[in-house]
Amino acid sequence: MPDNLASADLMAPDLLDPPAGRAAGASGDAPAAGDVTEAGEAAAHGPSSAPGGESEAGEPWADGRWAAWRRRWHGAAATLTPLLRRPGFVLAVLFVAFVILSGLVPSWFSSYSPSATSPTDKLRGPSTSHLFGTDELGRDLFSRILHGSTLTIKATSGAVLIAVVAGLAIGVIAGFFGGWVDVLLMRIVDVLLAIPILLMALTIVTALGFGLLPMAIAVSVGITPGFARTTRAEVLRVREQAYVEAARTGGASWSRVMLRHVLPNSWGPVAVLTVLDFGAAVLLISALSFLGFGTPPPAAEWGTLISNGRNYLVTSPWLSLLPGLFVGLVVFSLNHIARTLEEAQR
Amino acid sequence: MSTSTRHRSRSLGGRRRLATAAVAAMTAAILAACGSGSGGGAAAGDSADGSSAGKPVPGGRLKIAFWNDLQACIDPNQVYWIESRSLDRNIADSLTDQDPKTGKIVPWLATSWTVNADATEYTFKLRDGVTFSDGTKLDANAVKTAYDGTVALGPRSTLGVTYLAGYKATTVVDPSTVKVEFSTPNAAFLQATSTTTLAVLSPATYKETPEARCAGKIVGSGAFTLDSYSAAKSAKLTRRAGYAWPSSLVANKGEAYLAGIDVSYIAEDSVRVGSLTNGTLDIAWPRQPISSADQDVIKASGGRIETRALPGISTNLYPNVTGDRPLGDLAVRRALYKALDLPSYTKTIFWDGYPVAKSPLTSTTPYVADESAKLAHDPAGAAKLLDGAGWTLGSDGYRHKDGRKLTLVALTQAGTPGDQLVQDQLKKVGIDYQIKVVTASQFTPTAAKGDYDLVPGYLTRADPSVLGSLLNAAGSTFYTAKFSQDAATAAKVSDLFGKGLSTVNAEARGGVYQQLQDYLIDNGLVFPIADRVQVIGLTKKVHGFAWTSESFLRANDLWLSK
Repeated sequence: MPDNLASADLMAPDLLDPPAGRAAGASGDAPAAGDVTEAGEAAAHGPSSAPGGESEAGEPWADGRWAAWRRRWHGAAATLTPLLRRPGFVLAVLFVAFVILSGLVPSWFSSYSPSATSPTDKLRGPSTSHLFGTDELGRDLFSRILHGSTLTIKATSGAVLIAVVAGLAIGVIAGFFGGWVDVLLMRIVDVLLAIPILLMALTIVTALGFGLLPMAIAVSVGITPGFARTTRAEVLRVREQAYVEAARTGGASWSRVMLRHVLPNSWGPVAVLTVLDFGAAVLLISALSFLGFGTPPPAAEWGTLISNGRNYLVTSPWLSLLPGLFVGLVVFSLNHIARTLEEAQR
Repeated sequence: MSTSTRHRSRSLGGRRRLATAAVAAMTAAILAACGSGSGGGAAAGDSADGSSAGKPVPGGRLKIAFWNDLQACIDPNQVYWIESRSLDRNIADSLTDQDPKTGKIVPWLATSWTVNADATEYTFKLRDGVTFSDGTKLDANAVKTAYDGTVALGPRSTLGVTYLAGYKATTVVDPSTVKVEFSTPNAAFLQATSTTTLAVLSPATYKETPEARCAGKIVGSGAFTLDSYSAAKSAKLTRRAGYAWPSSLVANKGEAYLAGIDVSYIAEDSVRVGSLTNGTLDIAWPRQPISSADQDVIKASGGRIETRALPGISTNLYPNVTGDRPLGDLAVRRALYKALDLPSYTKTIFWDGYPVAKSPLTSTTPYVADESAKLAHDPAGAAKLLDGAGWTLGSDGYRHKDGRKLTLVALTQAGTPGDQLVQDQLKKVGIDYQIKVVTASQFTPTAAKGDYDLVPGYLTRADPSVLGSLLNAAGSTFYTAKFSQDAATAAKVSDLFGKGLSTVNAEARGGVYQQLQDYLIDNGLVFPIADRVQVIGLTKKVHGFAWTSESFLRANDLWLSK
């Protein structure tokens, strides 16, 4: 942490313009997105430029850490406040939060069991008793979607987690060491990028068997190259920075420079890509489960629900359309959040 | 042998009022004549005559779509895939035909026949003037070549193996008389001679390799010839000029009315139904019954629905009783019958009025018995049986014994709504029914290892002996036969199947097969789930539709109005 702060002032003290930034942030001019985000950055790094550097040298360690955290917190709040004034962003965050919460505890939102059949209630349209209607076996579709969230979130998080870890590792190693290591890794990534993601995912799932974990692995292999490329590009930029050279000159070991200086300063864009790829992973997981590679019945991911409903598209359209709309909204929300964060980073 | 796999708009363009009225009158007449599952060719012939559309109009190509063609074979001697057999019925003729209404065997290429008392010798008198489409004459030699050729296929002919069980030789008595001999009695053989599997192809066909025959190098004597066949993509059939030897069940004694038949394969139900209602297709022919909702859509577009139960083995589940598996206990198997609610299953998955499974055989199979009393839903009885067997209800809602959960693994290629309904029905008595979905390529190896508790299976043949293909361990190496019975039970079952095949007298045969079906249910060797009804959608242009006894297409009387 102190290193990070220290590096922040080494990085570009001249770029920071705290007073102007704060003013823009306080005035909260909505259209001036650039100003607002600049204010965010300024708020995050600005104060640390003065006393932050000393924390390593002089101040008692615990105090310095506490002060840094406080400054960070204020910084984060200052970054988020203008974002919270955007209704689209707030709605997207709320919806994603609802999906995650309902996926974790579906019973809070629906009293129906997702697998309890009720032949007399089959294919009922949306109503107050069944919010999203019932399927061909009389099961409550809303409850099935919420329970499907649990599975889809698990598979998606798994996929993105694997992809981020693997992508960061590949990207940092390739970018930092360069040379033949870089060439070798990037050609492998080129090959992976050349194969259509869905095709490769299908092949992997067929080889590994059906289920959540195979799907997560298959999707992560598909999205890892994107992370590797982005990370490498950032690392290439960061490793030329003066503070990295300073660290090296100061006698820091390769691994220390890589882990303490390069990696933490490269993952900003990767974080945005993570949110963005969450959307892509949701779509891929849904596509795989649509094709029947998901968890065995009666459990149903979102894709399975859409797939099951398509036989009734003419006569009971809600069976496919409502789960489809749900997936669409989730992906749209995730993309919107990622975009907003990306703007905020600039 | 294929295990059940599952897969699934609107226009009326009347230009003038007069035309619309005429069309409406015509449709009404046709619906009245052959709307409710008419069976035989004669009936269909009547409907064509009785319709106000008048005399059959020759010409036009019938466009028909099936759902898939996974076996990818068109050779009638080899194929078990029922859609291909439907086409084969119109390409190749057999010695006899079977009346769909009575199950009686009637003359076709053979004008008469005699059977000896112990069902080991069959002598057929052949019809005169029949030629294959390559010009060869049908004679006793051709029949011998065909039957020997089918036997030579061995296990490649999945159905032929059982149809010709105990086959010794075919001898040519004279050019128009042929004698088929068996070393063991085969009373089901006469019905077998009416099937597509024992269709007689031209002698030249048997010089081709089995693979080439599968790919379409076949020449028959049927009312249509096969122009081209591309597995799972398309097939084209053309009318055979000069055809004049249909079976006695066909009204049209001459050439077919249709100029040809164009076959396509559409896997997606909604696309197939949509293609029918917008007029791209004349007949939509899926494997799984068209849903009642889709039937309404077809009717609303002016089309109609034809239904007939496929004869043979119902959609059943077969247990694995070997090793330490829960179904090794007869009490658990008996509890399973009581736990299943078949009427509710039928109503939910299909519709009200769809026949409920009453036996391991479907409702149109000759000698089918009514076992419905033993298959009645009785959850309390099931609970009692399971308690007695030591499986007690745990706090998780499932039953346990010696720390083991009562889990039944059901192997399937697609977790259909039907599987999930069974799962929920069994859950209500505390049985954990796990649906294990595997790919088509993994299915057979997994099942052959016996890595399941329950496995589905059905087969089409209009004779009760068909059950032997899946359950007679003495005659079949199929996994359903191997794992569903212990040695003592297997001996008893084989004995009953043997009796059935050696009894020629119809009434006595009926008695044996009643006994067999009772035994299978009493001992929990097979769990009937649903009857199998072939449901097809037709446009109002199609007239003279007829089913064969095996619920295949018979196109001799079919014609299309303009």
